[in-house]
Parts: sequence; structure tokens; C-alpha cells
Amino acid sequence: MAYSDKVIQHTENPKNVGTLDKEDPNVGTGLVGAPACGDVMRLQIKVGDGGVIEDAKFKTFGCGSAIASSSLATEWLRGKTLDQAEAIKNSDIVEELDLPPVKIHCSVLAEDAIKSAIADYRQKQGKKQADNKA
Amino acid sequence: MNPFSELGLADTFEVDVKALEKTHRDLSRALHPDRYVQAPAGERRVALERAVRVNEAFRAVKDPLSRAEALFALRGTPIGDGKEPKPDPDFLMDVLESREALSDAKGEKNAAAVAKLKAAAEANHERVLAALGAVFAKPEKPDESAVKLLGKLRFFRRFLEEVSDVEDDLDAT
Repeated sequence: MAYSDKVIQHTENPKNVGTLDKEDPNVGTGLVGAPACGDVMRLQIKVGDGGVIEDAKFKTFGCGSAIASSSLATEWLRGKTLDQAEAIKNSDIVEELDLPPVKIHCSVLAEDAIKSAIADYRQKQGKKQADNKA
Repeated sequence: MNPFSELGLADTFEVDVKALEKTHRDLSRALHPDRYVQAPAGERRVALERAVRVNEAFRAVKDPLSRAEALFALRGTPIGDGKEPKPDPDFLMDVLESREALSDAKGEKNAAAVAKLKAAAEANHERVLAALGAVFAKPEKPDESAVKLLGKLRFFRRFLEEVSDVEDDLDAT
């Protein structure tokens, strides 16, 4: 199958591959997998004091489109507030990467990973606040 | 298409692969174009179409993953993109950790570590196959937990494909 140039760029030179400390209270980790194809994706965000995402890293084991989708997602996440990050839609990724219909599920996976990382961060923060009050 | 009925088989998950191969061979022989040289064009076309379907059905039944997918479809449980439950976080964590360990082993050219990861994944693969066998042995429509097994099977399958790529890489160097 032919990949678009943008997918190839991200696959050959993925941005922000790596790991953040998942125990850090300012780090949110999203771990998602696509049962229909066996791809697995981890996306992490580090949120600064102003509620702005300072850093984002990913590790994806899957096809080129899944790698490109998560690489693009981390690029987009940096500098965004959580609300802005949450507004990222898989269709934005599809459009930017020119993904064909059979690869749309890769962008869905990336959107899931973003949402799940944000949810993890918020849960940690909520827990921290509860601990402080206690 | 029901690949089981195409081959004249009962739709079970347990398959005798030798018998399956013999069925395929016999049907392919019976439908071979050489046997239809003298036949009217219509009959020849029907035999050819049937031979194509028989080949497809054979492949679908032979591979346990596509066999399971066919059985889910036949029993009315929806599967496929977007229709399957999300894998459990703990399971995903295990998958990701194994993939990372495999990628490290590849980087270190550590064949022993690759072999160990392969053995573990093969054992997991077998376990999931056995669990699916138990699901399909019952007459009920498989539920969501059964579909999760199918997802697991695909994750292990992907992992083992990756293992064989890594093995090829290590052999080549």
C-alpha cells in the first residue's frame, strides 16, 4: 500500500519517541491498543504549572500510519492546554496525514491515546488534591 | 461465505489439519480445469469459480485466527474494526513491555533473549487458542469476553511476526 509523503516523513523520522516518568504526578500516560490489528501505542504528556503541555512522548508498535499518527499527535500536543489537546480529533490527523480509509483506525487510536493520557493526568491531579486535603 | 460449508465441514474450532488438507486436495482435483476441457463454457466457469472459493475457504479454515473470525461471524457476534472491546490496560502494558524487550534484544543482538520472548509468546498464543476452543465448543453465541480473546490472539500473532523478522535480522548479521 502506498503511504502519503507525510506518513513516510513521520515514519522515517518520528518526532518525540521516548518515555516520560509515569510515576511523575505531572505526567499523564495513555496506553491504547487496536485489537483488530494488534497495534499498541503509548502516549505521554508532561503538564506544566500553567496547565500547558510542556512535553509529549510516544512509543508505538504498529504500522507506519500508527507511528505517524502518534508522532504527529505529540507534535501537536506541545504548547497546548489540556482543553485544546482534548479537542484534537482523529479527523484532523486523517486530514493532515492524508490517511486512506483502511488506516483511519490508526488516527482513532491516536485520539484515544491523547484522551487516555489526559484522563490519567487529571486522575493523578485529583488524587493529589484529595491527598493534600486529607 | 461460510468457509466450513464450502468445504463440506462442520463449523467447529477444532480442526484436523491433515483431513482439511486432504479435503482441499480432493476438491481441487475434482474442480481442476483439466477435467472441464470438454465441458460447456458455463460449467467450466462454475467449476473455476467454485475452485477459487474452495481455496479461499481452505485458507480461512486452516489459519486459527481467520477460523475464529469466521466462527464469530457465523454465530452472530460482531467483530472487526471499532466493534471489539478495548483491551484491558494490564494486558496492553504486558504487550508494550514485551515489544520493548524484543526491540532491546534486537538492538543488543541477543538471540537468547529473543528466544525466551518467543517461547513466552508462543505459550500465550496456545493458551488463547485453547480458551477460544472452549468458547466455540459451547453452542451459545460468544460474548464480549470471547471477542477479547480474539484481540489477544491478534496481539500475540503480531508479536510473533515481529519475532520472526528479528530472527531473520539476527541471522543475516
